[in-house]
Amino acid sequence: MTGNGIVIQTEALNKTFGPVRAVVDLDLEVRAGSRFGFLGPNGAGKTTTVRILSGLLKQTSGRGKVCGLDIDTQRDEIKAITGLLPESPGLYSKLSAVEFLEFIGALNDHNGESLMKRIDALLGMLGLEGRQDDLLESYSSGMKQKVLVASTLLHEPKLVFLDEPTSRLDPSASALVKDLILVLAEETETSFFICTHMTSFAEDVCDVIGILNEGELVTLGSPEDIIQAAHVSDLEEAYLQIVGGQVDREALLAWR
Amino acid sequence: MTRKWLSIAKAEFYVLTSSFRSHRTVTVASMYALAIVWAAYLAPTIMGFIIQSLIPMSQIRLLLMSMFPGLMRTVMLFLWILLLLYPLSFALQEIKIGQWEIFLSNNVRTKDIIIGTFAGKIPFYGLVVVILAPLMISPFMLAFEVSFLGQALVYSAIAAMVLSTIWLSNFVTALVQARLGDSPRGNDIAKALTFVIALIVIVPMYGVMFFMPVLSDILGMNAFLLMPFTWPADLVSWIAIAFNGIGLTGSQILGFGAILQLDMWTSLLLTAAFGLVWVPIALSAADRVFTISAGVRTETVTTVGRENFVIRGVRRAAKGSFGALTVVSLKDFGRKVQNISKILYGVVLAVVLPIIMSQIAVYDGDTVTAMDILPMIGIMIGVVGVFPFAGTGFLESKDQLWIIRSAPSGASRFMRARLASGFLLAFPLSLAPSVVVSVMFALEPLMALQMIASSYIIVCGAVMVSMGMTAQNPNYEDTKSPAHQSVLIGSMLLTQFTLIAPLFIDIFFSIALDVNIFRVIENIFGVDGFWFTQAIMGPVALLLMGGLMLFLGVRSLGKVEV
Repeated sequence: MTGNGIVIQTEALNKTFGPVRAVVDLDLEVRAGSRFGFLGPNGAGKTTTVRILSGLLKQTSGRGKVCGLDIDTQRDEIKAITGLLPESPGLYSKLSAVEFLEFIGALNDHNGESLMKRIDALLGMLGLEGRQDDLLESYSSGMKQKVLVASTLLHEPKLVFLDEPTSRLDPSASALVKDLILVLAEETETSFFICTHMTSFAEDVCDVIGILNEGELVTLGSPEDIIQAAHVSDLEEAYLQIVGGQVDREALLAWR
Repeated sequence: MTRKWLSIAKAEFYVLTSSFRSHRTVTVASMYALAIVWAAYLAPTIMGFIIQSLIPMSQIRLLLMSMFPGLMRTVMLFLWILLLLYPLSFALQEIKIGQWEIFLSNNVRTKDIIIGTFAGKIPFYGLVVVILAPLMISPFMLAFEVSFLGQALVYSAIAAMVLSTIWLSNFVTALVQARLGDSPRGNDIAKALTFVIALIVIVPMYGVMFFMPVLSDILGMNAFLLMPFTWPADLVSWIAIAFNGIGLTGSQILGFGAILQLDMWTSLLLTAAFGLVWVPIALSAADRVFTISAGVRTETVTTVGRENFVIRGVRRAAKGSFGALTVVSLKDFGRKVQNISKILYGVVLAVVLPIIMSQIAVYDGDTVTAMDILPMIGIMIGVVGVFPFAGTGFLESKDQLWIIRSAPSGASRFMRARLASGFLLAFPLSLAPSVVVSVMFALEPLMALQMIASSYIIVCGAVMVSMGMTAQNPNYEDTKSPAHQSVLIGSMLLTQFTLIAPLFIDIFFSIALDVNIFRVIENIFGVDGFWFTQAIMGPVALLLMGGLMLFLGVRSLGKVEV
């Protein structure tokens, strides 16, 4: 963390893939202990931004710091104090939940009794205690997502990147993840950087929202400020107004 | 109403011709036109010219005629393997149960699926046969001077055999997919079966490579009259005899009859019956055996049990996060049936080779010592090390790679653990073939120990090469991908060439510098130079190459994507 309590700071961050500009001149500051919601349509550049910030992808230009560490030169240090929940589950089908979490713990240099206790506690909290020794190939997508959530929190990161954390979860599991984020942020000063399409989830959980469209940060502020500025009643309407995407009834039937 | 089987056939055809999809019609039409010209004119002309320029037909005719019945059976055996097992093997690698669900949810009858996939495959495999068959058939057609009508009948018999085999293959493939695609476990077993099937293909190929005369004798045995590929083969032989233009005498035809045993009409009847029997069986069985019921896939749950003594031993020996990663790596590798199947496949190959080679020697009245076949055994053991670890069994998806990379030095830790598990698996892998060779060639205990140690080092080197190359170009379990093919072939070649590189260096030194390295070694170390080159220098060179590949692999796997 930088001295001024900023966990993420980027300056003119750019990422291009051939002719596609995924991230365009991104200037961003995220305060420590905050729950930052990163909204945007499919292909807006959210996942690319997360990958750059978590040290997995090199930006085309621009600079950035995560917890005071340089994203160009201190990638391993960044990885040690951050957690990443990827967009799609990359689980080992032939391992059980406990074994997979042991694997993730060991990758982060944790092992032994303390790790196993933490794994049991996390799986119990996420409601997987009865299935923890079953191979992951037999898990539903929601259960896999829960295992990934556990793997992200396993090494107690200071900053957690969550890429679509609730997209595969049922309402009760979503509520659980929501509460988990709020409790961790309040009690342990853990910061969250959450990419999501779910405006209601973002509205409930995040204290700051950034809306990305075609790689550019087009809106930044608290959910209330964004809703007020758009003169609408909720974040979904504000989002649709900012990003577009409202289609009239006639167009919806035009394909027939 | 749309003909659903036709739509499925079209989709199947599009998949088979996807590599030239931008000019599909023109390319396919041109290929067929060329293939027909090839089969009708070019192949007989070229083959005739080649034979004539090597040995005049008048001199070789008798030889070709005497070879014909036996060779025809061999050709049909390989056509059978190609058409029956190759598509089946490919289908097993990628169970497309999702496609079946789409079909069935659109009210497509299972009969339509079977007929559609069959019809879709015919153009592709038909083309392969039209191109390959004349190469084998032409010399004999020339030798027997078979009339135009006779040649048309010969190709018709081959076509009938091809169609019935594809139909059978299609039926079995669909059955296996429907049954094994139901569960992750079944899917796993299907992948494992792929290699068992590949083994059935490989072993006869070795047979042909190494002891063709023995195989020809075997194919003349009565037992082979029971094999369905023998009937069309014999039918082709009979047609060539019946429509010959060289005036075969009655005694000569009786001679052929003694070899072929079944007469032309029996062969024709059996060929036709085999084809016709499968059509009603497949169609009537279709809707009964291929019912994909909802929910089956989610019912299979495997719960892991207590860790076995090997895993517990590893945990005790390697404490800390490295030990934990190695244990997880071993579990992940060992639970995939296809990995175990690949290990068995490699071991069987390595065991079969010395057996075949010693059998050839026995057949030829010679004796073979372990030293004679040491380079070959080394290469085979290298293959054993490469096969289970090259390409697959590494990372299941790119998302998995992101997870590994998101840990500090994650790629390097992951690779170290994978390597440790590979070295542990190298024990049984190297032990089985080296013990067989030691027993078979009655090696002295000390020599046997050297053989076992050398084999272990070779397998470890091959594991390093394979894992290093896979890390540089991971294919994420897609065994059909170009990445998988290039990693597998590249690892095989690199391992084999590195193992025999010291021999080439010796040849180079002998020719270019007039230095006999074997003798130099003998003078310095007092041991046999050839043995030292093969048992010590080759494996050491492989370890060095493996180290280099691993270094490059770790660097590539851990790199920050640009």
